[in-house]
Amino acid sequence: MSLPDDSAPPATETPPPGGAPVAVADYGAVGAGLDALELPTANSAPTTADRLRRITRAVLPPVLAIVLLIGIWQALWAAAFWPEYKLPAPRAVGAELLNNITSGQVFGQLWVSVHRAVFGFLIGVVIATPLGLLLAKVRTLRAAVGPMLSGLQSLPSVAWVPAAILWFGITPSAIYFVVLLGSVPSIANGLISGIDQIPPILPKVGKVLGAGRLAGARHILLPAALPGYLAGLKQGWAFSWRSLMAAELIANSPQLGQGLGQYLEDGRSLNDMPTVMAAIILILFVGIGIDLLVFRPLERWVLHSRGLTGMA
Amino acid sequence: MTATLRLRPSTPIVEPAVRLTGVHKVFGRGARTVTALAGVDLRVDPGEFVCLLGASGCGKTTLLNLVAGLDTASSGEVLRNTSRPAVMFQEAALMPWLTATRNIELALRLAGVRRTARRQRTDELLDLVRLTGVGDKRPHELSGGMRQRVALARALACTTEPDGTAAASELPSLLLMDEPFSSLDAITRDVLQAELLRVWEATKTAVLFVTHDVREAVRLGQRVVLLSSRPGRVVREWRVVNPSAAAEAETVHEINGRLREVISSHVAA
Repeated sequence: MSLPDDSAPPATETPPPGGAPVAVADYGAVGAGLDALELPTANSAPTTADRLRRITRAVLPPVLAIVLLIGIWQALWAAAFWPEYKLPAPRAVGAELLNNITSGQVFGQLWVSVHRAVFGFLIGVVIATPLGLLLAKVRTLRAAVGPMLSGLQSLPSVAWVPAAILWFGITPSAIYFVVLLGSVPSIANGLISGIDQIPPILPKVGKVLGAGRLAGARHILLPAALPGYLAGLKQGWAFSWRSLMAAELIANSPQLGQGLGQYLEDGRSLNDMPTVMAAIILILFVGIGIDLLVFRPLERWVLHSRGLTGMA
Repeated sequence: MTATLRLRPSTPIVEPAVRLTGVHKVFGRGARTVTALAGVDLRVDPGEFVCLLGASGCGKTTLLNLVAGLDTASSGEVLRNTSRPAVMFQEAALMPWLTATRNIELALRLAGVRRTARRQRTDELLDLVRLTGVGDKRPHELSGGMRQRVALARALACTTEPDGTAAASELPSLLLMDEPFSSLDAITRDVLQAELLRVWEATKTAVLFVTHDVREAVRLGQRVVLLSSRPGRVVREWRVVNPSAAAEAETVHEINGRLREVISSHVAA
């Protein structure tokens, strides 16, 4: 075997001249051996015990944290540091939640808010994706609009609510306007940073393989930018949801229906702390639910298929 | 050039696969120009294996980019009379979201090969690099050596005609390799060098192989071309066709000496 140092080879074991048929057969065997050694061993299928352990490890800590939190809350309430209308009992909030659920009211509220947020988010995706691609690829455009887009991302979208109400009145349009201004910058910026982080060798390979601009964007640029894009989508969703809540809280009219934001605002105007807290819990529930049901699996799939699994 | 080429018995009338005549390449403008290549002449015949050897900064990669058509020469002529060149880099640069099979298929797809022909050709190429069983693995599940073999198969896929056959007979194929094995461990490199020679014999493609490893160049190439650094020029070439082990060691020793001279000459400059 020839070692890659540049001293003269030892007189005894000289390498066979490359290409001799015997040597090729030998190298085939060595190569096969190397492959067998170096191929990362496939994990054996998880047993039921493994699966059980994994589920316990994933579920137990957050459940314990919530139980602890409620315990502290209960203790504080029992100590009566604050009057009842400021800190209600966990039981009172639970009763309000249960009442809201059994009366069926909650489904209407969830539907009104969630469908608005999802619809607004999807419009945001449709607008932000070409915008992000364009900004990532056209340098002058990026120099002109990029800073503004980043600025918009840090501007709390609740600041747009007064303007939206003056422009559109208290209508669904005003709410969608606020949601879009919340989500579009995040999604576009996510896509831009996704494209920026593509290793330059990949587009180069595309060029060598004969990919034109369009084929390159479709087969290399977009799939390579997917992790960043997904992070942008996730943040865009979070911003949509927040913006929607801000808009629903402020733009309050029977014409808009009863969403979670209105439910929260009702609680405030009636001085009803259990309702306020129940509304906050529901808003949190939707945020966590969508993240766990939609974005977490998507993210895990994308990262796993690229060998980028950060967390198990 | 100061070539000490012993000319072949019959001077070939073959059309060269690649011919560079007086190629200059200058980067930058104004006062900050860097001359990467200064008057390089080079010829690669169809089916020939040529190794380009040089220290860092000799413009090896620039030269390869020119031949691949990724860049254009500042002056001089770059002629390539081959099908689309297959290019391999130091990194495998496989698309991390695609399986090995899909990576090869992507090259065929971009070359305009139809779906059914694509599948068949991919299997052939995987066979050629001895990776038949691992087509559905993703790059991160493969070892470095296996990744480079997939990259070799993908590069060779470039030379496929749209009807799915290997490169047409009228145009020779060309494989450009930019230090493809330099990031591998010694044992894997050794095996891959043998694999490359086997693939070269099986495909009869011309190869232009860039390296800074003298031993590798002498082992693989039929011809070794030494480039000087900053700017790159052809210093000398050696013909090394099936030498005995002793002759091979002798050539390695000689080239090493010459390479050291070239590198030492840069201290003053």
